[in-house]
Parts: sequence; C-alpha cells; structure tokens
Amino acid sequence: MILHFTLNGQATRVECDPDRRVVDLLRQDLGLTGVKEACGAGECGACAILLDGVPRLSCLLLAAQLAGHEVLTIEGLAGGEAPHPLQEAFARAGAVQCGFCTPGMVLASHALLARQPRPSRQEIAQAIAGNLCRCTGYHKIIDAVRLAAGLSEDDS
Amino acid sequence: MTWPRPHLQLGLPPRPDALDKASGREKYACDFYPPGLLWAGVKRAGVPHARLRGLNLAAARALPGVTAVLAAADVPGVNRQGVVQKDQPVLVDDKVRYSGDALALVVASDQATLARALALIETDLEPLAPVLDPEEALLPGAPLVHPERPQGNLLLEGRVTTGQGAAALEGCAVVVEASFDLPRQEHAYLETENGWAQMGQDGRLTMVASTQTPFRDRLEVAEVLGLEPGRLRMVAPYCGGAFGGKDGVTVQSLLGLAALHAGGRPVKMWLSREESILASSKRHPARLRYRLGSDDQGRLQALEARIIYDTGPYDHLGGAVLTLGLEHAAGPYRIPHVDLHGQAVYTNNPIGGAFRGFGVPQVAAAMEQTMDLLATRLGLDPLELRRQNALKRGDVNPVGVTLAGSTGLAQCLEAVAGHRQWKEAPAWRAAAPAGQRRGVGLAAVLHGMGYGPVIPDVANAKVELTGEGVFRVYCGVVDMGQGNAGTFLQLAGLVLGQEAEGLELVLPDTDRTLPSGSSSASRTTYTFANALLPAAQALKERLLARAADALFATPAEMALVPGAVRHRPSGRTLPLAQLAKMLSPEERTATHRYRAPVVPERPSADPALQLHGLPHGVFSYAVHLARVEVDELTGLARVTGYLVAADCGQVLNPQVWEQQMQGGVAQGLGYALMEELPAPAGQPQHTDLATYLIPTALDLPPIECLAVPSWEESGPLGLKGCGEIGIDGPLPAVGNALAQALGRHLPQAPFTPERVLMALQEDGKGAGS
Amino acid sequence: MRPVLLPASLEELWPLMRDHPGAAFMAGGSDLLVRLRQGLVDPPAIIGLEGIAELGLVHDEAPGWLFLGAGASHTALLEHSLVQRRLPLLAQALAVLGSPLVRNQGTLGGNLGTASPAGDTLSPLYALEAQVELRSATGSRRLAIADFILGPGRTALQAGEIIYGAWVPLAQDWSLAHFEKVGLRQALAIAVVSLAALISLDDGGVVREARLALGSVGPTVVRPRQAEQALLGRPLDAASLKAAARLVRQEVSPIDDPRASAHYRRQVAGNLLLRLARPAD
Repeated sequence: MILHFTLNGQATRVECDPDRRVVDLLRQDLGLTGVKEACGAGECGACAILLDGVPRLSCLLLAAQLAGHEVLTIEGLAGGEAPHPLQEAFARAGAVQCGFCTPGMVLASHALLARQPRPSRQEIAQAIAGNLCRCTGYHKIIDAVRLAAGLSEDDS
Repeated sequence: MTWPRPHLQLGLPPRPDALDKASGREKYACDFYPPGLLWAGVKRAGVPHARLRGLNLAAARALPGVTAVLAAADVPGVNRQGVVQKDQPVLVDDKVRYSGDALALVVASDQATLARALALIETDLEPLAPVLDPEEALLPGAPLVHPERPQGNLLLEGRVTTGQGAAALEGCAVVVEASFDLPRQEHAYLETENGWAQMGQDGRLTMVASTQTPFRDRLEVAEVLGLEPGRLRMVAPYCGGAFGGKDGVTVQSLLGLAALHAGGRPVKMWLSREESILASSKRHPARLRYRLGSDDQGRLQALEARIIYDTGPYDHLGGAVLTLGLEHAAGPYRIPHVDLHGQAVYTNNPIGGAFRGFGVPQVAAAMEQTMDLLATRLGLDPLELRRQNALKRGDVNPVGVTLAGSTGLAQCLEAVAGHRQWKEAPAWRAAAPAGQRRGVGLAAVLHGMGYGPVIPDVANAKVELTGEGVFRVYCGVVDMGQGNAGTFLQLAGLVLGQEAEGLELVLPDTDRTLPSGSSSASRTTYTFANALLPAAQALKERLLARAADALFATPAEMALVPGAVRHRPSGRTLPLAQLAKMLSPEERTATHRYRAPVVPERPSADPALQLHGLPHGVFSYAVHLARVEVDELTGLARVTGYLVAADCGQVLNPQVWEQQMQGGVAQGLGYALMEELPAPAGQPQHTDLATYLIPTALDLPPIECLAVPSWEESGPLGLKGCGEIGIDGPLPAVGNALAQALGRHLPQAPFTPERVLMALQEDGKGAGS
Repeated sequence: MRPVLLPASLEELWPLMRDHPGAAFMAGGSDLLVRLRQGLVDPPAIIGLEGIAELGLVHDEAPGWLFLGAGASHTALLEHSLVQRRLPLLAQALAVLGSPLVRNQGTLGGNLGTASPAGDTLSPLYALEAQVELRSATGSRRLAIADFILGPGRTALQAGEIIYGAWVPLAQDWSLAHFEKVGLRQALAIAVVSLAALISLDDGGVVREARLALGSVGPTVVRPRQAEQALLGRPLDAASLKAAARLVRQEVSPIDDPRASAHYRRQVAGNLLLRLARPAD
C-alpha cells in the first residue's frame, strides 16, 4: 500500500505492506534506528513512539494504522540544532548507561511532562513503568525527569 | 545536524556517550541494515537431550528466497567452540545437549522467508534420557552429557582447605548450619544477541556484533571457519547491555558461516527475545550447604562450604565461575580454618555462564545469611559480628592470600553504622503498620578483580595524534553500557590537556584497536586504564619534546593545552595540527602494554583451579543494607530502602560509579525478589519478558550509594573495579531483612510472595490463618 | 502480507466482515499481534476497529447506566471523569493494568474478548454486574458479563458480531469499592489473584449488600456467593471477614501455573478479604 503519514513533522509517503510492523517500517525502511526493539511483544517499551502525542508500542502497531496520523520518534524530538531538554537532562543526570531503553524512556517521560509538568518521583516511576531498563535501577532516570522539569531533590 | 559536544572533564557528567544514545543516533550492532541484506537464523533443537539421526533440509532449500541451508557438515573448520574448553558444537553433529542447541542454519532474503524456511526443516531426533539435576548427574549410571569425558558429568571440582579445615568445627563453641537454593537468572540485556557480517572481495570477513570479547571472538570464529584470524575483522559497537551474557561467542560463528555462503552480500542475524531466552547462557543455579563456627565471642573459627553449580551442557565459563565462587565462598572475613568444596556439573539444562558477579552472588547469599544465623545464635548485632571479623589490610584471607592492597571493609561497615538507614532501623521496624512486617538486613561482600594468576590479564592501549591534530584514543575493550569508553576518553584528555573537541574515540575493532581482553571481571577500567595512562603519557612526552625542538626550547618549558603545545616562557603556541605534520604516523602514535600483577600465593596446587583464576589479589568491598516490608496477607515483600557503602578505591567519576552500584543492586534485587528461570524437563519455563520478570520502575527503591574511597596502589589513579560488587549483596541483604521480619530464613530464592507467605503460615503467624 | 482493514464506521464494518470471513478483529492489538507473533493465529485479514468513533464513547445518557465503548483504551477510561466519579472500582483496576504503554494500547473490548480470568477489568465488571452489548449487521443483544464469558478465551460472541461495549448499572452508591491485584511485580504484571469488592453498609456499619469478584482463581472470574451471603447483616470486622474468607477459599477453583500454586491462590483469595476490615467506630 501507499502510506501517507506525518513522521517527525514531515509529510511522509512510503510504500509498504499494510501489515508491516511499525517498528520494522521505521527501523528498516526509514532508517530510524533510534526506535529500538527488545521484546517484540509490548513488554519492554524500547520501541515506544508517540502516535498523535500518545506513547505507543511500535512493535504492536501495523503500518496501515499510521495512515493520516502523526508519528514522533526519538530522532524527531529535538526538532532542531540543540538537544531536547529531556535528552540533555538524561545525559546530565546519568540516566543513560547502555542506552537501549533510553529513546523509549525519553518519549514516555516527554508524554508525562506534557500533562504533568511537576511530577513527583512516584508519578515518574508510574509513567515509565512500561519501559524496562536493565542497567540503571531507574533511580537516575527519575532524577533526569525531575531535572528536566526544573525540580530539585527537595521539591516534593 | 551537529550538536554541541559535551565537555569532558574527568569526574563530571555527562558521560560522552549519553547524548548520542538519548538522541537515538548511536548505532548499535543491531542498527545496521546495509543494502542487499540477507537474514540468517537457526533451527534449534527444542529438546534437552537427543541423538541427531538426520535432518531433512530439502524443502527449506527449495523455498524461493532461500540462499543457503547449512548443517554441521558445512562447518569448514572445527565444529566446536568454547572459551576454556571447546565442547559446544556450532551446529549439532552428533547429539543435542540442551534445548537451545542449533541444528541447522538458514540464510534467506528476508525475515519472513527465513521463518518459513526454518519451519520447513524436518529433524529426526532420537530422544535420550536427560540429566537435569546436578546432584543426580553425579550419581553412577546418570545419563552422560559428554560420554567421552573421563570425569563424566563433572566439569570441574575444586577444594580449598586451610588450617584444620572442617575438623575445626568440632572445637567451635557455636556452629550454625544452613542450606540454600539459588535460581537460574537471565541476563535480560535489552539488545538481544545479534550482528551482521560480510565477506569482502578481498577475501576478508568483516563482522559487527554485540559482544564483550571481539578479540577472543575473532580467534574462535576463525577456528570454526577454518580461516586465518587475520582474515577476520571484528567490530564491537556499544552494547545494549551484556552483563556477561556476551562474554564469548553468541551468534558470531553462525553469522560467519552464513557470510561464507552469502555470495558477498551482508548477512544479519538477530535473536528474538524468545530465542535469546532459550539459547543464551544464564547465571548458574546453585545449591549450597554451609556450616560456620565461632567461639563464644563471635570470632569466626571454621567454615565448611559445599557448593554445586549447574553448568548446563557446555563449559562456556562454568569452571571459572565455580572457581571464583569457591575463592569468595568464605566472604570478607578472617577465618583460620576453612574447607571449601565446589563442583560444576554438566546437565541438559540451559547453559550456565558468565553473569555479572560470576559465581560470587551465590556464595555471598549463603555466607551472609549464615552470618546472620550465627549472629542470632550468639545474640550479637549482625553489624557487630561483621565488624569483629572483617578483613583488614595485612590479614590473610580465608583462602590464604595476604591482603597487601587496599582493604576497606571496616570503613564500609563504619559508614553504614553511622548512616540514618541503619541508626533508624529499630524505630522504623517498630513503626510497621498493622498487617505489615519490617526488617532491615545487611550483607558484607568482596569481589576480586581480573583473570587470576595464569591467563594473562593484559591490555594494550594506543593513542594517536591524528594528522588533523586531534587525539584519537583506541579503546581495546568493549563498552557494554558501563561507560568505560567515555572514562578512557576523559583520562586521555586529563593527561593530554584536551577538551572534547580535541579528542576522539575508536571503539573496539580488531583492525584498528589493540587486544585488551574482555569487558568483564571488574577489570575493564582497572586494566585498560593502566595501559592507557602510560601510553598517553609517553605520547605527551614525545610531543612536548618534538615541539620543543621545533621552537628551539626545552621540553620542560612546554605545555600541552587544548589544540596546541605552548612554549610557556614566550607564550608561543604550536597548533597540534601543525605539529602532527612534522611527525611520521609512527611518531604520532604511542602504545603501552599492561599486565595486571598476580599474587604469589597458591591456595590450591590444582593447576585447573589456577587456570580458572584462583587466586586474586585485589578486591573491592561493600556493605549492603536493605529495608524490607512484608505484607502478611499476600506475602509480598517490597524493598523500600537500600544503601550500599563500597570501597572501590578512588572514584574517578562519581556519577559513573553510582551507575554501577545502582545497576548492580537493581539486578541483585531482581535476583532476590522475582527472577528465576526454572527449566522443568530441560525447557526454560519462561519464554519472554512477559513471563520472565525483571524489576520495573515501581519495583525498586531509591538506592543510596556511599563511596568509601581507599587508594589502591596497583590501580590507575588509585581505583579498583566497581562493576560487580553491587550485585553480590542484595539477595543476602534482603534475605536477612526478611528473616528479621519473619523470624526465619527462607532457604530458597527468589523470595516470591508465595514463598514468603508459606513461611509466615508455617509459623502460624499469618494473618489469614 | 495480509490486508489490514480500518473501517470508519459500523456501516463500513459490516460489509467488510461479510467479505472477509475469518478475519481477526483488532482493537489495540496488544493481544492479537502477540498471538500472531507466536504463530498461534494466522488470519487471512485483520479488521481494525480503532477508526469507529462510536466504539470509543463513554456516556451516561441512558438513565441508571454508564456506557463504556469497547474501543475505548484503558487510558481513556482511566482518565474519563465519569469513570473516575462513578466507577472508582474500575478506575482502581485500570490504574494497575499493565503499564501506561499497555493501557494506551489495550481496550476494554480487547479485555472482554480475550476473556482471560486474569483480565484486570473483568473482576470489577463482574462485581458491578455489567452487561456486554454485542452488535451485528442485523441487530444488538445484551448479555450479563457472566453469560458473555464462557471460559478462558471463550465468549458468547457469534460470527458476525462484535463487542460493542459494556453497560454498567449505576444502581447505588457503595460504601466501599475496593480493588486489589496481587502480581509478581508492581507493573506489567499478570494477576495471580485479584479481588474486586463492593460493599454497602447501613448507618450502623452493618453489611447490607456485598459483591465480591475474584480473578485468576478459576476458569472465569468467580463470584463467591456464599461468602457474599455470609457477610450480610454483619459488621465489616475481622471476624466476619475471616469467616467469609474461609468460604471464599472453598468457592474458588484455582490451578497451579508458573506464576503461583493453586494453594497460594486459594489462600490469598481469602486473605484479600481481610483488607476490607473497617475499624469499629
């Protein structure tokens, strides 16, 4: 099928099978390898993208479902010359180790901050609970989201 | 798009790799899809023990889009691989020894065709009785995993005795005894095993793989393929996690074989999560029996430990894992009489291999819970008991090695003793709400560094001033996520006086970087930085001298500054780019080889134990504290607070150090609370991340880390390794906290709600009874 | 390659269903696409329901009823003010279902259609005595949820029908609405046992009505009627709850699986009742 959708702000036209997994479409066909795959079954969150602003699992989406919609991947988050503040905060707070969960974590955090600009540690943990990380113990990921939100350790 | 490069100051964030990873730009091995890509995959046995009578590959070969279907006879070199003993077939030729064994390899034009072709392969397997219990495997008449081995199913047996050994227990005022059963743990790195490879027109095979060991892989794959190692180039990008699971060949031999049959096209192989769980190595399940004796004051006198590790069908690194366990079995204490006995046993279960901790978490679980049993028996405070027996510098450790280097356990104990989480523990416990029990548990642990006395623990560093005047650091050892590559860049910058703009990094590549061993064994930064610092220093001295010559000055008058060499008295500068043009490529490059020191003691005369790493001389130390809350209605145990105080020598970068502590603790808490991969009938019971559970963000407490720095003379800038000490303590700390809450230790981990609730009910204390 | 059909309305849906017999329905895909990956299903076509706006509706236009569209995602339900205000029991369950990513993906209709005894929305819907509306090209029918779900993975859905939504009666204000899920971790967990409880107390603190629904302790969600009965007319104290818990343990029929033993499930199914104890005034 010919698929039309908006990808990282750009009108995109691509020919693909309608039942192609979106993670494969993005990684293999469109080269957006910041979208990771680690389980293929919706259990880890590494493949998260924003679909119309909502974090979704690209391993559980089919290409046809994108028609007419807006997709944001980690590559499109900064949208310019400088890193997005969340990316900067993840780097600064030490939230990145192997980094394989990081794109999904950043996007899940981005969606959280869009609806809750001053999240507590518990709210952050809840928001990223579907994104598995095997390296960090999550502590510094939560720190990073707080840092991006302009919150210090002492703010509740 | 160019983004500003982060500044690079040793000790300060951010890690230089962090922003590329957070932006999705970093290319892991799995992120390459070169044009013309073929896909490779294998048919796995699915049964734990069987004779391979035949394979029918005709239908798979006939499928359009299939490039090649290969079996054992197609392996051109030696069809056996392994780090220590080559006992694992690349493709099964005689019999299946575990359900993840590979039978046939398919190369196809796309993933869908690959899947169809694999499904078309018919296997003719004659089932054999499997051996699944390591103790039964040692009984006469047990089915043999490798019938040709004279030692039967015993991979390695080791014994270390000191003083009067176990006989000294007779004279102890108090003896406690306990048994422990520890689970198989899955690494669950997020990036599953993968790579891509291509045979070039020049007859050289290039392979990019997610691996901890590119140089060793090259030798192994070359042997399998019957190629000279020089015809292979292995490239190792940043790993999406590894934790020991990529120490040794995973897909590499298969991928190399596929590339030989791909007509020069690139071939990719990437295990699904399900296949990764089925086929990959795991932390060894263990059974341990401990008897620990002390005098009536709590001075440890004697320990007897009996240790059995289920190593699965292949050696992998099982012998080395057992040996490190044996060496650490008595914990960080002075014990004059020990009898430590361990066996690693072949079974038809999943492969036991390297996993962060490398045999130590199991023995630490046993020793530290036994210590609490002893403290309870003696009526002593558990921290006091540990304080009293803690190894200090100059002591002889339980396996007979003099601790000549930094030994900071006592300081770690003091740090915990003075910390709020310990001091407030009694009040916190007493404040447990109705229906909840609370406990606070400790564990003291140590972790040796490096390969031991026989296998050279060597790194070769290389630093180059490029023709453009930038310093290039050739990182010979993989960064699997722990940040060592960035640390190397920062160290080079420190010596060479450069900022980020003046430095670049080459990740491990057998054509470009120099062999520096594995990213493992808490040795990565210790060993490589010990090579890197002198290499950078040598280059610096050469550049200062050559610049001085050019400016008619003396080297002492010169300084390396960002981008230039400056003549300090006059302020004249010679840009590095200009200096580089005055030098030959050889002159612009410095290398240094470092081999870690070995200790002279030999706790065992057994050459096999020495080969497998006994003993070590440099250890990191830590004390772990866990606060645990137990729900009486469900048995759910939650860790609500955690503290680790660790002596890892000097801390070069506090944030990276904390990352290692928190990450190790997180995996250790998974091991304590929820992670286990049983294999009834030799089949992993959990097949994916929906059923094999690792902690989510809601399962882990804040993890407080206290650096208790010492100065390790042998370490680069005084540091010791910090990659594993974090995972050794959580299980016993949680176990001891639970024991305090429940009034008894649980013999079997992980401490699932069911096991906890049953313990509550057996005591007749459960709220629901 | 298989076609993926995304009708924008029910009117578009019916002919597609007729023309593609054997097609699989997909709401969020969190179940279907996993089973597809596992090779458990191989449908000739997939009909996605996400484009049908009316399936995503939540409203209280019918007096005494709250309608929850089958296509509403768990997140949409959780964040909906009507659900939060009128169905706190369901909201509690939705809050611990899967993870935010799973909740963004999965739908109520998917949970109903999958008919797993561990489905997190199901025990609340049993306690609420919800009805499931099925639609076809020719009509509509409503079944009590207990009549809709027949067993693990089995429902009364007929060929040609889709799950349209759930109707939840808003009969009364409950004194206590309590949901608890016991899983092996705090997110992305499949229930080992879940309890949905609705209790109505009179002014004296005596139980007037009790509805209990337990997940993961039988082939479908279990309503332990004897335990419910036993609570009637008694205060919600430890003694009455312990008595009811004993009955619960008799009324459930759990099995062993890799997550937990039948023994544990039975024990905890009863234990969870004790969480309902209210301190005496």
